[in-house]
Amino acid sequence: MDLLDAHFVPAVDGVAYGLLLFVVAAGLSLAFGTAGVLNLSHGTLYAIGAYTGAELSDGTWGGLAVGLAAGTAAAAAAGAGLSAATIPLARRGHLAQALLTFGLALIGGNLLIEFFGADDLPVRVPEALDSSVTLLGHRYPAYRLCFILMAVLLAAFGTWVLTRTRVGAAVRASADDPQMLATTGHSPRAVHTGVLAAAGALAGAAGVLGAPIIGPGAGTADTVLMLSLVVVVLGGLRSLWMTLLAAIAVGEVQTLGVSLAPDLAPYLLFAAMAAVLILRSQFTEPATAGAHGGGDGGSDPVAWLRRRLSASFSGRRAATATAEKAVAEKAVADRREPVPSASGGPLRRLLSGGRDDGGLAARGRKAAPLLALLVLLIALPTLLDAYTLSLAGSALALGLLAISVAILTGYAGLPTLGQTAPFAVGAYATANLADAGWTAGPVQIVVAAIAAALFSLVTGPAVIRARGTTVLMITLAIGELASAAINQLKSLTGGADGLVGFPPTQALFGGEGMVEESEVYNYALAVAVISVVVTVLVLRSPAGKLLTGTRNAEARMRASGHPVGRYLLIAHIGAGALAGVGGSLMVTVQQYLSPADVGFEIAAFALLAAVIGGSTSVIGALLGAGLIVFTRDWVASSWPGHGPLLLGALFVAAVYLLPRGLAGLRLGSGPGGRGAAKADQLPPDHDSVPAGKVAP
Amino acid sequence: MLELTGLTAGYHGGTVLHDLDLTVPAGSVHAIVGHNGAGKTTLVHTVAGFIRPSAGSVRLNGREMTGQPAHKVARAGIGLVPQGRRVFAGLTVAEHLRLSYRPPGRGDTSRPSRWTPERVLELLPRLGERRGNRGTDLSGGEQQMLALARALLGSPSVLLLDEPTEGLAPLLAKQVYELVGTLAEEGIAVLLVSPSPAQAAECARTVTVLTSGRVTLRVDGADARTDPTALHEALELTPVRTAAR
Repeated sequence: MDLLDAHFVPAVDGVAYGLLLFVVAAGLSLAFGTAGVLNLSHGTLYAIGAYTGAELSDGTWGGLAVGLAAGTAAAAAAGAGLSAATIPLARRGHLAQALLTFGLALIGGNLLIEFFGADDLPVRVPEALDSSVTLLGHRYPAYRLCFILMAVLLAAFGTWVLTRTRVGAAVRASADDPQMLATTGHSPRAVHTGVLAAAGALAGAAGVLGAPIIGPGAGTADTVLMLSLVVVVLGGLRSLWMTLLAAIAVGEVQTLGVSLAPDLAPYLLFAAMAAVLILRSQFTEPATAGAHGGGDGGSDPVAWLRRRLSASFSGRRAATATAEKAVAEKAVADRREPVPSASGGPLRRLLSGGRDDGGLAARGRKAAPLLALLVLLIALPTLLDAYTLSLAGSALALGLLAISVAILTGYAGLPTLGQTAPFAVGAYATANLADAGWTAGPVQIVVAAIAAALFSLVTGPAVIRARGTTVLMITLAIGELASAAINQLKSLTGGADGLVGFPPTQALFGGEGMVEESEVYNYALAVAVISVVVTVLVLRSPAGKLLTGTRNAEARMRASGHPVGRYLLIAHIGAGALAGVGGSLMVTVQQYLSPADVGFEIAAFALLAAVIGGSTSVIGALLGAGLIVFTRDWVASSWPGHGPLLLGALFVAAVYLLPRGLAGLRLGSGPGGRGAAKADQLPPDHDSVPAGKVAP
Repeated sequence: MLELTGLTAGYHGGTVLHDLDLTVPAGSVHAIVGHNGAGKTTLVHTVAGFIRPSAGSVRLNGREMTGQPAHKVARAGIGLVPQGRRVFAGLTVAEHLRLSYRPPGRGDTSRPSRWTPERVLELLPRLGERRGNRGTDLSGGEQQMLALARALLGSPSVLLLDEPTEGLAPLLAKQVYELVGTLAEEGIAVLLVSPSPAQAAECARTVTVLTSGRVTLRVDGADARTDPTALHEALELTPVRTAAR
């Protein structure tokens, strides 16, 4: 009873926190579930409400009411704007939306700080509520009780509109079949805009009312987005009641959990999220994963495991041939680019990002820009000052991370937000090795790669069963769990302070440690070139083709007897090793390591670099990473404080201007490339289906 | 009255419908027959506003509808019962009726008759018994009724029916065709896509055969009933006949 008594206040706080998250998450779930928009700027909509509410709050009821009206309206308008921005992307899938909304979130966050200042804004609640009341023998803030009431009312109103009114029926019908909704005389586009405006309004209202709980500040948007993603994932998209339960549970973990078990709480949320996703993808995903066909005995994991273990390597050649055939058929059917065949040199392969369509002359033409790039990279130390050169080194490290993301996203069809986890493993392994006196570069690289590969071997089974957006969420959870672990395992990672002061790496065995920027850069370049060449050779080999076949026609690959799961696991391990090498490089280049270097933002940057690069292009991913580092650190240094704004603008521009990424710029010449580019450029059917559903 | 002139349409891949002329007067049934891939559904989707035609025009009672988005086409009085029914999985029958009920504006006198949920339930009493059930809980026949109800509640002047008897038992199919006749008697212009030339001839005033997106035969329904040879030839042989209006 004493225990219950001591934790009564955090428990009630958890309810308030949970209801706040419910209102925000309901908006996120509405936008994703019924308008098909994966909105990574949803947290920013909350922040708009919170800042507006805080700014207008003056300790009176009038201030609260004006703040509520203004904050809700502003966020609703932003939501409607988001609808207009995402409609042209209706057929481009969730990655393009993620890129766009992440870019908008960066821009929005920067503008909010510009407008309201970088410090957390104080919030003044109405004086009548600025006191505490007695609740079952405990003093409890009156505002929070009032907030619980308001949030319940808001949630009840939203639920009533969605389930009991004609408007709500139109919204649900639009999620089912927008074309059929149109035949009843309702404009699907209007519903799309309305849904996103309503989602924005919910987030904005939650921001105004919840400002005294999660106040406006620089990290607000990220916190709110992460927590509401967890709520949406835990609750599923089907039922508001499940979302409510999940929200309260997350609220309790954040309050009661932190006071009861402060060491475990950081893991609990994302572990629960990963568990739910893995279970769900194990048992339901194959049925719903349209493009990816059925699972191999998805309903019985044991049988599946046994089959996988007993799958033999025999008939490998024939298997490769089937894969090629499946891929070629699929390519014809989809008018996509044909998949790499075994002929053609690695340079060509590098340039074309996997396409093979020409003779020697074409090969030479295509190799020229790559050679130019290589020459430029080699010449950089003579061209740049020391600071910029170290940025170039960081870009190479981030580039390897981006390539590993591109392998998973573009080749294996597993879009990942969690590659920073093996990246971090490689980075911390290198820093710890150096600290222990193991400063030889080759040793650090190999150990980092092996450690990261082992890590990916462990996490792989959780990732490879899922497809599409579910993978994004599972890998996000893995990344966040890794972040939590980094903050907790202080003896290995230095916690939030990071690691610094370890001896510099030696390029080879023996010799001096590298201290000159140009030495470090040359080392980074050598490692990066070797890694890229190895990656490209592997991707070009039959193994790479099996992977592409898996991505393009998984059902056909399975039907041809391929152990698809094993291919994906191997790809996951290989990509992990590459990320580990990237992490090792980053430590060598930076000479320090902080949790921010391996956090969610870097994971998002790596994914975006891969998408900007064109998803299936190794060199594109490298260039994408270079572009991001260049924008974030170099351009932004001439306009201080606007790095996020510039990056956001880069992402937004990339979505609209480079639908096929940097790699698409040069691929117009290939027959397949042209067809694919054309398919992307064609405007969607007029009044097209926002959720990207296509008529049968 | 629905008038299509020189209608040409297709998808990203290429043109499917070529220069199609077709008229459905109010109160009559015009049947389209043709093999798979002949362009029947493309025709329906173009009229419904899902596909923007690359040439030609769609006119409803003399009013230009070409290139209008689907919801405006629906509001103007063209109702669609799509192939495969496509009822909303998450909505109950009652919600379907409420969502679809759209009385014509006061000034709109072109509609042959005015449909309310009550009147629709009178015509299709089975739906009344299933009011609280979701779309996916219904049987195939019930879903077909619901799809028809959804189209009727817009009080349409023109009804597009895309293979409305697909997957239905013969007895139910017969009822559907009788219903189509009833609706035409009300004054609705019905464009009926049917895979079966016999059934098409049974209820249609005019039958058009589509082959590879072109009209290869147009016969009077009554003639086709007495002598289906021409219809069968057009469907089973390679196209040799030119279009006859």
